Amino acid sequence: MYARDHSPEVQTASHRQPRSVTEVSQLIRGRIESDPRLSNVLVTGEVADHRTPPSGHQYFTLRDRESSLRCVMFRGGRGGRFLEDGAQVICEGRVGIYASRGDLQINVSSVEPVGTGLLQARLDELKRKLANEGLFNPSRKRQIPAFPTRIAVITSIQGAVLQDITNILKRRYPMLNMVVIPAAVQGAQAAEEIIHAFVNLDALAQTTKVDAVVLARGGGSLEDLMAFNDEMVARTIFACRTPVISGVGHETDHTIADLVADIRAPTPSAAAEIASPDIIDLKVAVAASAKSMQRSLEFQISSARERFELTCDRLADSAYDAEMYRNNVDNLLNRATSASQRFMEIRTETIRRVEAQLQALGPQNTLKRGFTITRLKDGPVLTHASDLSIGDQIEVIFADGRAEAETVSIDTHTRFGD
Amino acid sequence: MNEQTDNHPDTEDELPSFEDAFTRLEEVVRQLEAGQMTLDQATALFEEGMKLAKVCNQMLSSAELKITRLQKDFAEQMNLVSGNDV
Repeated sequence: MYARDHSPEVQTASHRQPRSVTEVSQLIRGRIESDPRLSNVLVTGEVADHRTPPSGHQYFTLRDRESSLRCVMFRGGRGGRFLEDGAQVICEGRVGIYASRGDLQINVSSVEPVGTGLLQARLDELKRKLANEGLFNPSRKRQIPAFPTRIAVITSIQGAVLQDITNILKRRYPMLNMVVIPAAVQGAQAAEEIIHAFVNLDALAQTTKVDAVVLARGGGSLEDLMAFNDEMVARTIFACRTPVISGVGHETDHTIADLVADIRAPTPSAAAEIASPDIIDLKVAVAASAKSMQRSLEFQISSARERFELTCDRLADSAYDAEMYRNNVDNLLNRATSASQRFMEIRTETIRRVEAQLQALGPQNTLKRGFTITRLKDGPVLTHASDLSIGDQIEVIFADGRAEAETVSIDTHTRFGD
Repeated sequence: MNEQTDNHPDTEDELPSFEDAFTRLEEVVRQLEAGQMTLDQATALFEEGMKLAKVCNQMLSSAELKITRLQKDFAEQMNLVSGNDV
């Protein structure tokens, strides 16, 4: 159609007056390059005949089942690393004529892989970059307070997500202050609005304690979640002074926002649950506390009673000890008594023996040898002559009898043997 | 903006917070469970704990979620607007 429109001119060229190769080539080039549909094309196909001469440019053929197009990508083009034989790619570029050979070719400005998906490839690259910078480091993940006072929620005020979160917080932890910070979570403005919401959050957090912020949106396609894979959004989350809980999409979607957030919840509802303790748990805990305190006090009382009873027992034990002591004393006394009895027996025996000995040593034998014992009649034994008076009746004891006599004279001057 | 910080005390935080009451309650329970105290001390702790449990229960039963919404120009208006109740 396009060619037919200009057929008169072509006919002119093929008439008598020939044109130079260059002229024709330039003509074609002019036509092609002036066509806006060809000046910026997106072509998808498989890479073949890929060559990289030392110049740094890359030459290859892009083809599908029926056709092929020669391509060149000059040094500095984007995505050159995706070019290899057999790769499925999307090339963006301009169709032109390589004049010296008359070849039609695409001057490719950027290449993106198909297969894994264009967005996915970009995403993976950004993930690698941010991971290297430490944005996903587990060590920087902050804890959410066990008993938050204020939770901020960044999400769209349209849609079910905000309502879901509100319902969950209302049910689980109604002591909360919930601060809604509206932001579009889809579309061209989403990234910018989310970043702005974080700016507002930081401003709020300067005067009012905000325990955590939930960044939420429902599930969607990779394209829908673009804002949550935005580099600036990631850096904003990273810089946020309030701990961030992400609740984006459904369980299978993992956005960069999820990776940067302090806690990643699989869904907005789960994020709300993570942000809040459950009032039922708390009521149970309070009731359990009351019960435990009662048990403890009862235990204290019963152990006090036990201690008291134990003391009583010990007192009773002391009485028993006294009894024991008394018994011991009795025992000792008995032993002492029998010991003394025995001692007395021994002594008596000793006395008898000594008496016997004394007996043996007694005056009898002396008397037998001729001595006598003289005493006053019915009086004491006399040992001195001077104790006598004239006329004293005396008794003289012999070994075999006695005799009575009267004192007729006393001589105290003459001694026995003189 | 930093100067404003002191001009906007958080009035809700002046009330005893649930966290404070509940944390103290847990501490009381722990002490009572550990024992090693006189019966007087145990009784005093018990009374304190039961009061705390009552306070906690009241808070849990009577609370109602407060929702506020920040306006988009909140950060810009920080110098004029006093707080979060927009």
